[in-house]
Amino acid sequence: MIKVENLNKSFDGVPVLKNISVTYEPGRCNMIIGASGSGKTVLLKNLIGLLEPDSGEICYGDRKLSEMKEKEKKQLRQSIGILFQGSALFDFATVIENVMFPMEFFTDWSKAQMKERAQYCLEKVNVIGSDGKYPNELSGGMQKRVGIARAIALNPSYLFCDEPNSGLDPYTSILIDRLISDLTREFNMTTVVNTHDMNSILEIGDRIGFIHEGEMLWQGDNKTILQPDCQELKDFVCANTLARNIIEGRY
Amino acid sequence: MVKMFLESTGRYFLFLKAVFRRPEKWKIFWRQFINESDKLIISSVLLVGVISLFIGGVLVIQTASNLENPIIDKMYIGYMVRESLILEFCSTMVALILAGKMGSNISSEIGSMRITEQIDAMEMMGVNSAGFLVLPKITAATILSPFLMLLSLALGLVGGYVVVEATQIIPTASYITGIKAFYNGFYIFYSCFKMSLFCFMISSIAAFNGYYAKGGSLGVGRSSTKAIVVTSILILMADLIVTQLMLY
Repeated sequence: MIKVENLNKSFDGVPVLKNISVTYEPGRCNMIIGASGSGKTVLLKNLIGLLEPDSGEICYGDRKLSEMKEKEKKQLRQSIGILFQGSALFDFATVIENVMFPMEFFTDWSKAQMKERAQYCLEKVNVIGSDGKYPNELSGGMQKRVGIARAIALNPSYLFCDEPNSGLDPYTSILIDRLISDLTREFNMTTVVNTHDMNSILEIGDRIGFIHEGEMLWQGDNKTILQPDCQELKDFVCANTLARNIIEGRY
Repeated sequence: MVKMFLESTGRYFLFLKAVFRRPEKWKIFWRQFINESDKLIISSVLLVGVISLFIGGVLVIQTASNLENPIIDKMYIGYMVRESLILEFCSTMVALILAGKMGSNISSEIGSMRITEQIDAMEMMGVNSAGFLVLPKITAATILSPFLMLLSLALGLVGGYVVVEATQIIPTASYITGIKAFYNGFYIFYSCFKMSLFCFMISSIAAFNGYYAKGGSLGVGRSSTKAIVVTSILILMADLIVTQLMLY
């Protein structure tokens, strides 16, 4: 579980996150949603420790991130899997080497064991027969899948996904969403997905937090989001034609 | 301007501190070291070789055309070609050429990794990205570059020999005598030391610029250009200082 309490972050005196408090539970797809520039990515970067908050606390289980020593942070990072927006696969490594990369650093497994685990992770994300290919030989969807396989390679407790659907067609997007959701349940991970894709939100949003101009204005799930009691959220949701038609009672 | 210079210098040394941390796994470090040796040093052999061959030949012609005085023994042409190659060309000029080739290679590779979040991904896994990516490059360039200097010297002398043989601008025997005359082993050490130092500067400054690249592909281009310009100037300054310290 990840608990965020009264988180504030500003850049050059401009507040970007204002008093954010939220809890992310294991076994669920927790989503951070909001328009571009609302502060979603800044919140995600604070959660994974790439940025330091001005005030407030982030707790992983019962451990406060701000009180962790460098060694503890390093250990925590090994229990975190991240899917970056552009997949961030290593250009110098093949598909299987990408998945084996974290194992090489943080396990004492033999090469055969690492290979076996990497192949298991690749099978989980339905990437079969591409072990020897380089990232630039893969489609966007395949790259995302390999990114997910790498993220779950060390059996993490936490999975962060930054806009997992960006640049993907609707069909592939749904497949990636379902994959994230299934893996979250199967491995009981605390998954946090940063997105503004309404299809994803409706498909896998077990727990949703809506950020508007740095403030967490609404929290709910994919069922209650279509009856929003917050005008800013209603404007955001109604930008999607299907959701607008549902809210306005045309379906 | 002064503030910017001081900030960059401070950041460069902090970067080196991160680079020279103990590698997480020596096995991975050695594998990367071999890869980088191939990418940075072995792949430069052809370029350095071709340039050295031609420069050796040109040096013979230029020196011969400036030493037409019949009182001066022709063997001094061979001697001067050798000294020019050892003292300046094989270390400083080759390093300036490598600043372009090696520097842009390192800077653009690391810069691209930075802007495509590959470095962030490594950091988030708990891997010391500076150590993993940069340490093998710096060690390979620093330790193995003297071999490039020695290769350059050998091929420069061969280039001179080929020109002497082909044109008979001076008697071949005089050239051979000249390149063997007044040999000073310390000059070889001096040249190897300079080459190591310059290649350390090339690899570390290029990596530093790439590591902190920002602003998309244009930013990567800018960081490569900056790395080459800064390294070239610093090589010339270091050349002056090292020469003063070691030869006088």
